Amino acid sequence: MNKLLKRSIEFILFILLLSFISFVFVKLAPGDAVREILRSDDVAVSSSQMEKQREALGLNDPVLVQYGQWLGRLVRLDLGTSYMTNRPVTEELLDKLPATLLLTCTSLLVLIVIAIPLGTLSALYPNRVIDRFSRLLAVLGTSVPSFWLGLLLIEGFSVRTHLFPSMGTGSIAHLVLPSLTLGLTMAAVYVRLIRSSLLESLGQDFVRGARSRGIGGSSVLLRHAFRHALTPVVTMFGVSIGSLLGGTVVIEVLFAYPGMGKFIVDAIQSRDYPVIQGYMVLMGLIVTIIHMLVDLLNDVLNPEIRLKGER
Amino acid sequence: MILVLCTVLFVSACSSTPKDATTQPAATKDKEVTFLFNFASQTIDPHQDYTPLRAGVTETLVKLGEDLQIEPWLAEKWDTTDGQHWTFEIKKNVTFQDGRALDAEAVKQSLERAIKVNPGVEQVLNIKEMSASGQTLNITTEQPFPQFPSELVHPNASILDVNAADPDKTPVGTGPFKVTSFTAGSSLKVERYDEYWGGAAKLSRASFNFNEDASARLSALMSGDADIVYRPPTESLETMKSDSTLHLESVTSLRTHELIFNTNQPEFKDKYMRKAFDALVNREELKDVIMGGQATLATGPFMPGFSFIPSYEVKTTGTEAALAWFEKAGYQVEQGKVSKNGKPLSLKLVTYTSRAEFPLFAQVLQAQAKEIGIQITIEFVDNYEDYLLTKDDWDLGTYSPLIAPRGDASYFLNVAFKPDGTLNFGKINDLQLNKWIDQLDQMVDTDKRNELIEKILMHIDEETYYSYLVHPNTLVVYKDRVKNWVTSKSEYYMLTNQLDVE
Repeated sequence: MNKLLKRSIEFILFILLLSFISFVFVKLAPGDAVREILRSDDVAVSSSQMEKQREALGLNDPVLVQYGQWLGRLVRLDLGTSYMTNRPVTEELLDKLPATLLLTCTSLLVLIVIAIPLGTLSALYPNRVIDRFSRLLAVLGTSVPSFWLGLLLIEGFSVRTHLFPSMGTGSIAHLVLPSLTLGLTMAAVYVRLIRSSLLESLGQDFVRGARSRGIGGSSVLLRHAFRHALTPVVTMFGVSIGSLLGGTVVIEVLFAYPGMGKFIVDAIQSRDYPVIQGYMVLMGLIVTIIHMLVDLLNDVLNPEIRLKGER
Repeated sequence: MILVLCTVLFVSACSSTPKDATTQPAATKDKEVTFLFNFASQTIDPHQDYTPLRAGVTETLVKLGEDLQIEPWLAEKWDTTDGQHWTFEIKKNVTFQDGRALDAEAVKQSLERAIKVNPGVEQVLNIKEMSASGQTLNITTEQPFPQFPSELVHPNASILDVNAADPDKTPVGTGPFKVTSFTAGSSLKVERYDEYWGGAAKLSRASFNFNEDASARLSALMSGDADIVYRPPTESLETMKSDSTLHLESVTSLRTHELIFNTNQPEFKDKYMRKAFDALVNREELKDVIMGGQATLATGPFMPGFSFIPSYEVKTTGTEAALAWFEKAGYQVEQGKVSKNGKPLSLKLVTYTSRAEFPLFAQVLQAQAKEIGIQITIEFVDNYEDYLLTKDDWDLGTYSPLIAPRGDASYFLNVAFKPDGTLNFGKINDLQLNKWIDQLDQMVDTDKRNELIEKILMHIDEETYYSYLVHPNTLVVYKDRVKNWVTSKSEYYMLTNQLDVE
């Protein structure tokens, strides 16, 4: 119970700090939301009319006052209204969250399907063909920009073979190319991580001990070595989920995928402060929950961590 | 890897893609087209976004014709005696896509909503009060506002059924297509509205999709995911031209690329210095080499075709002409090099990267200036408009304003030349010009307006407040089976009831 209370307090403080820092930084950055609100690039507005609008929105108030007002609304679970769409920020974000979550899940699936078998085989057969292949994949995966990989996949699977749609949403097929682009790029890193982590585990005393007790090869691998090797992988997995949720902008643009990444970049460009702030809080919430789950999973995978923590 | 490929093939086999629809045999009556646009919409509330008008869902009271004159649309005719009190006759037999008849009251409610939800529309329309009776709508503007009908061309002044639910996802307009679904940032799907007042559309359905990446847009066309692509990548022009199944269209847009002079800087207070740079810029190189020929040379801010364009004097350009102007501006020219009091000239040019041609143009100008002894440093700036307006530590800049989005010259003259105009980046404050623009804003008679605009444009040309470079073209590529596509100069009208496929 104490742990839960401590975590909750930590979480609230974290969100407060995150929201404050993001609020201040966004306000300090040059740019003006009013220019976007008044569509000043094709409407004959004057500087004084822009100033009037700025005043009406409270954008001339001190940053701390503006932050206090925003926080007051947050307490009432009101994230405000988007300047871009005139819709409640909560609705906007929740509309886009499922698509982003879906793409994150399918990309992680691609990652798992590739990285776990390849990384494991690479560790079991070091310096053999499979290991060399995985090294090549790792080099390619880390050096090829995901955007370019996406264009290659479109050329191969969409333009030439017509197997998958090159953009949009609506069916499972629409998810294949963006998921492959994201999953393949990330898998390269994980293959090497799993390989090195598993190799280290296989050389540990407890693995040698298990083998000397006559436990079978596959059992040693799965119940002992692999379980131990997964700890750094799971930790990194949490980081990857966070980056997938917030950083798939390029892929969203390329495949016209309606996720949150592109939406938030547009919001930043048009200085849509309520959306930016709402997004920061939502992402802070999701990433914190993911990290808590990762901690929990690490406890299960490696009881030694839990014991050390309890000492 | 094999497992992934197997999964990929399995999913492919299990799923259907939109290609099935877009590549349908033309013989069937169920015609469909997929249009791919270069900006993504996050809402399709017509009072917030242009897409419903572009997709043929909504319409405005008046429209901008391809001859750049305003034409009746939902309004049959309009009249004013003083430029402040207006009477609009709304077309009869027009219905919204939910069957409700369009009358003056519905138009009034729609305009009231537009003003309420969009402060930009409030500014652009400047309406004081409205009253409706049958098909007659009376509008009084805050002050005499002769260009008011032109301003009603604005897509955000679209007429919407305000009683319909959820206008930001399923707006109900009077156009040939009604909304079936909308995915923010991805696509808008529409189907034919059979009772359309202008005659039912030839297409049964259409998808208005968004993709901001030019290469991806072209790939979508090649893969069959799109039939019409707006602004394909210019670097693939030859590929598109060589494909006999594609049709490429290039139309002069209502934008003008310009070189801005900061008239707050001592050097650019002098009009001869501005004329020197105007002569130095190589418009042909910008058009032909940097922009692949996809532009029209500019002689002034407005593209040819407007009724108020004066007969500009043909100017001599090039290094020699520029050097002559530098001399006239009080600079010493020795052995082809420009200096002042023995010191070389050093200037700062600011630009931005979202228009790919500007960084290249800046480098070309930098090289040209270097040849005559002028040092230009180039700086790329974010939040460009704010920077130009609020900072004074720059000498030259580039920009591409929309010159006459609704056909009238007042908009551009007000924003680009009045001292508090939001596009007056050159910080121009010319008392004579201000007086003329104020007069124009009050002038009702069209002939007199054109006469005054001509005078203003000649004055701007003489003073060379900006160097007008080129009017960039709008490029559209579509499959040969697409019929009756019109690349609208205004970029407002895209899906129409005449659009068809074979």
